[in-house]
Amino acid sequence: MAGRRAALKAVDWAAFAERVPPNQRAMFNALKTRNDALTARLAALPEKPPAIDWAFYKAHVAKAGMVDEFQKKFSDLKVPEPVDTQTAKIDAQEKEAAKSTAEYIQASKARIAHYERELQKLKTMIPFEQMTFEDLSEAFPETKLNKEKYPYWPHKSISDL
Amino acid sequence: MLSRLVLRAAPAALRALPPPVAVGVLHATRPLHTTQQSLAPVPPLPEKGGEVRHGVIPEEFFQFLYPKTGVTGPYMLGTGLLLYFLSKEIYVVNHETAAAACILSVIVYAIKKFGPNVAAFADKLNEEKMASALAMKNEAIESLQKAIDEEKKEQWRVEGRTYLFDAKRNNIAMLLETNYRERLLMVYNEVKKRLDYQVAMQTLKRQKEQEHMIQWVEKNVVQSITPQQQKESIAKCILDLKALSKSAHAAVHEILYMSLAFISGILLSVLVFAIIFLFRKSE
Repeated sequence: MAGRRAALKAVDWAAFAERVPPNQRAMFNALKTRNDALTARLAALPEKPPAIDWAFYKAHVAKAGMVDEFQKKFSDLKVPEPVDTQTAKIDAQEKEAAKSTAEYIQASKARIAHYERELQKLKTMIPFEQMTFEDLSEAFPETKLNKEKYPYWPHKSISDL
Repeated sequence: MLSRLVLRAAPAALRALPPPVAVGVLHATRPLHTTQQSLAPVPPLPEKGGEVRHGVIPEEFFQFLYPKTGVTGPYMLGTGLLLYFLSKEIYVVNHETAAAACILSVIVYAIKKFGPNVAAFADKLNEEKMASALAMKNEAIESLQKAIDEEKKEQWRVEGRTYLFDAKRNNIAMLLETNYRERLLMVYNEVKKRLDYQVAMQTLKRQKEQEHMIQWVEKNVVQSITPQQQKESIAKCILDLKALSKSAHAAVHEILYMSLAFISGILLSVLVFAIIFLFRKSE
C-alpha cells in the first residue's frame, strides 16, 4: 500500500482567492467547486468497507463449502491501487510556472524602475510658470518643434495643429 | 548736445569691434553658457514691470531727485521745462498739437476704460493654458503612481501560484483515494449481494413451504366439517342476526321522534319572529 494516503496539503483558499485576478475568477471558481465535490465524495466513502460476518453466513447458507470458498477468495483478493499519471505533469507545470513568473517579475521590476524614473522627472520639474519654451522642450521632448523638417512656422505639419 | 556725444562715440565703438572676417570662425566656437553658474536654472522673471508714475515716467527718476529737491522737485522740473519749450518756441504749437491732443486723450481714455478687462482676458487665457498643462502633469504623475502600484500588486498576486499547484495535486490525490475506496466497496458489495441472495432464497423457500402447509391444513379442516355441524352453525347465525336487527329498529324509531321535535321547534320560533316583525311594522 505504498503511495496511498499521500497526505493532502492544506490549501489556504482565502489567501488563494485574494490573489486571483478578476479575469481568472471563473477558472478559480471551477477549480474550487471541483475540489469541494471531490472532498465531499471522499468524505462520504468510508475508509474501509465493513467486515463481512462470515460466521452468520456459515450458519445460514445451506450450500456446503460455498461460504468457505467465498471467504478464501475474498481474503486473497488484492484490489489494485489506481496509478498516478498526472502528478509528474503537475510538477513539470509548476517548474514552468516558476520560470515564467521569475521572468515576469524581472520585467515587472524593470517597468517599475522605468516608471519611477519618469515619476522623479515629473516631480522635480520646474513649475510651468517659470518655464521658457526651451525648458518645455527639454522636459517634454514630444513638444519640441522640428525646425529642420518644417523650417516655416508653425514648424509642424498642418494636420497636427 | 547729447546727440553730438553719441555721434562722437560711434566711430570709437566701431573701431573697437573686431574685424568680421578673421574672427568668423572664432565666433562659432566661442563657448557660451558653459560655466557652472550659468547651468543653474534661470531665476523666474518678475511678474510686473518697473513702477511708473503718470504712465510714462519711471519711479526711479523721482527717487533720484528726492534727496536734493524733495517730493515736488520732478514736478517743478517738468513744469519749468514745459514752459521753457513753449515760451522759447522750441516746441511750436500748430495744428498737429490739436490732433495729438485729441488722439492722445482718446488713447488714454480707451486704455483707462478697457485696459484692465483686456489684461484680465489675456491673463485668463494664460491661466487656462497653465491649468491644462498642470492638469496633464498631475494626471501623468497619478497614472505612473497607479501603474507602479499595479505592478507591485501583480507581483504579489504571482506569489499565489503555489496554491494553485497544491490544489491540483490535492485533487489528484483525492481522486485516486476515492477510486481505491470505491473499488474496495464494490468488492464488498458484490460478495455480500451473493451471500445475501443465498440466504434470501433459503428464507423464501421456507416461507413458501409454510404457506403451503397452512393452506393444506385449512383445506383438510374445511373438508372435515360435517353437514350436521353446518346446519347448527347456520341456525345460530340467524338467531344472532335477529337480535342485531331488533336493536337496529329501536334505534330507528328514536331517530324519527327526535327529528320531528327539532323541526317543530324551528317552525315555532319562525312563527314568533314573524308576529313580532309584523307587530313592529304596523306600529
